[in-house]
Amino acid sequence: MIYLDNAATTKPCENAVRATEKYLFEKYYNPSALYTEGHELQSELKKARSALLSFVANENDFEWIFTSCGTESDNQAIFGFAKRGNAVTTMGEHSAVFTPFTELKNRGVVDARFAPLLPDGRVNVEKLLALVDEKTSFVSVIHVNNETGAINDINEIAKLVKKKNPRTIFHSDGVQAYGKLPFKLAKEVDLYSVSAHKIGGLKGVGGLIKRKSLALPAYLLGGGQENGRRSGTENVFGIMQFVLATNEKFSTLKADFERLQAYKKKFTEGLDKNVYTVLSGETASPYIVSVSAVGLRGEILLHLANDKGVIVGTGSACSSNAKNRYSRVILACGHDEKTADGVLRISFSSLTTVDEVEKAIEILNEIGRDLKKRMN
Amino acid sequence: MKKVIIIRYAELFLKGKNRGFFEKAFEANIQRALKGIEHELLRQSGRYLVVNFAEEVIDEMIVRLKKVFGIHTFSVAYETDANMDAIFAVAKTVCKQEGSFKVASHRGDKKFPLTSIEISKELGGRLLSVYHNLTVDVHNPSFTVNVDIREGGKALVFSEFIEGANGMPVGTAGKGLLLISGGIDSPVAGYMMAKRGMNVECLHFHSYPYTNMQAKEKVVELATTIASYSCGTKLYTVSVTHIQEEIHKKCRPELMITLLRRFMFRIAERHALHISAQCLITGESLGQVASQTIEGMTSSNSVVEKLPVLRPLVGFDKNEIIDRSVKIGTYETSILPYEDCCTVFLPDFPAIRPKLKDILMEERKLDVEGLIKTAFESMEKIEL
Repeated sequence: MIYLDNAATTKPCENAVRATEKYLFEKYYNPSALYTEGHELQSELKKARSALLSFVANENDFEWIFTSCGTESDNQAIFGFAKRGNAVTTMGEHSAVFTPFTELKNRGVVDARFAPLLPDGRVNVEKLLALVDEKTSFVSVIHVNNETGAINDINEIAKLVKKKNPRTIFHSDGVQAYGKLPFKLAKEVDLYSVSAHKIGGLKGVGGLIKRKSLALPAYLLGGGQENGRRSGTENVFGIMQFVLATNEKFSTLKADFERLQAYKKKFTEGLDKNVYTVLSGETASPYIVSVSAVGLRGEILLHLANDKGVIVGTGSACSSNAKNRYSRVILACGHDEKTADGVLRISFSSLTTVDEVEKAIEILNEIGRDLKKRMN
Repeated sequence: MKKVIIIRYAELFLKGKNRGFFEKAFEANIQRALKGIEHELLRQSGRYLVVNFAEEVIDEMIVRLKKVFGIHTFSVAYETDANMDAIFAVAKTVCKQEGSFKVASHRGDKKFPLTSIEISKELGGRLLSVYHNLTVDVHNPSFTVNVDIREGGKALVFSEFIEGANGMPVGTAGKGLLLISGGIDSPVAGYMMAKRGMNVECLHFHSYPYTNMQAKEKVVELATTIASYSCGTKLYTVSVTHIQEEIHKKCRPELMITLLRRFMFRIAERHALHISAQCLITGESLGQVASQTIEGMTSSNSVVEKLPVLRPLVGFDKNEIIDRSVKIGTYETSILPYEDCCTVFLPDFPAIRPKLKDILMEERKLDVEGLIKTAFESMEKIEL
């Protein structure tokens, strides 16, 4: 089976799982406990926060809060700060941001504003800035879009937003960027969401990076873990596994990035142009390629590819729902419904091999041509 | 205190010489519904008693018995010694402490010293003396305390009547093959035929890879709900992908659905005969969609040669069907947003009144027998 849906989730880093098994069977204590065994875990968690943070941010300016997933991190940021005036985001957000914004709008809490996208999936920065004014309390811009791979220059956008309104809190969903793109957070970014399972970690572990001086309201109240910012007993095993998996990712991050760029090129060039149109831009993340078999339906190709041993995604969560069949993000890029209906999302990981890419090209071409013949 | 369940028949009492046949099926269905729960089932004249079960399984038994067709009502009763002191002790727990009530007594054991009327009078008086907010109303009471004196020195005391599923015992009215989609109507149609005593088996058409696995899972879930009423069922699935592709390639697009349905009915009839089903059942309702006009029904019906096609919902409004669907517990599953019939091939404007002449002309372009054969090769069977 060739697995090319790594933007959905990745295979957990096996070395990291083995090396941290002791946190399941030996060091299973509650880190908040007062005896030595518990207390020791507290200091290991502290090291873990600092390690995970140091890959992308300056420890003097930022701190790390463990959460259960990227969605939780996004929700805590949004519901914590988008409380008055207006809040601005983009049409290219993951549902974990888009839906809370819609919810806040429906509840009448804030005037939620959505900035349009450029054809390649990046936000139109000029139009985004035009939506920011003196009443803007919160801005959220996705770092790497999960469907198109489009990369937004969040450091630059954060600076421009702050220039327009220094009191605005700036958040970014970095779930598809952390551990994949080389970058450091600028200090204008206030909040940044991360998820473990997209880079060899386990499902159930996430992180919210926040600027140190920012008073983040707690979303879950209880035992006061994570400095009172996020109560709930820490997933020690998941966290420790995440640290090791991340270490591995960052040690080869640049090499992987370049290798996958070559794969992406090979992949997009290898696809039959009579069947597939590449939607992802050249500057997009090499980890995600969005293509459309215009006139065919992506989901059918997904099933056909599946039957032939290749797992890909369609990019939109509700593709089977007739009403929401077309991806909101693809339509926001300016594509028509026919294009949106034919979308396939192919996403790589550092484990992807060139053989797999070649085989996937062959199979996708074969099933695409076949389906086209069957349907016309 | 020991509890028993009293089960009362629905229409069964109407049956004369066939009664034995109906009762046998009814008993078997009750036993099947209570499978896995330790109990004994006793037949008495005009009713059944479930005895010797553990107190903690009562709720589960109620849930299961509610789905057995043929049951009119049932009651959870206390069993006690047949003397007034013991009966009074139990009646105190069954009886509410306020409101209007009456006592209804039945003396199965004629050796019991008091007559039915005397039992009611005596017990009513004792209850009034302990619960001062009770009033007697023999014509229109808000609840009734029932006392049943049985042979063998025992009495049953109960108050509540639980509504059963009514209908006829499944297995007494032959076997039918239900054409089940993932929609709201067909499960209700299957339920209604099972209610009249029919064994219902299910046939589902899918168009994988044009439809997805979730759509199939959904149908399995719907068929499982039908199975819970019809004492189990079998679900057969058949792929019509190839048929749709051929129609799409060769025939007029507005006739896609009409032509497809004719294939479905042909396949269904052949399969029904193969499994010894005596009819086809569909969830069609007149005029609900383009293919369910009288012309549409005529065109699909005309390929069925030997069996009747039963359409229990034909005169129902959508809302009536939805109400029933909610009641039998299939609605929530039915509205899950998975496409059950391939919309890739759906024409923009399906023919509302397809003419048989046109249909036959289009059908001649297809290798009907060959396509049916291929479809049968894709058949899968799931026991539910």
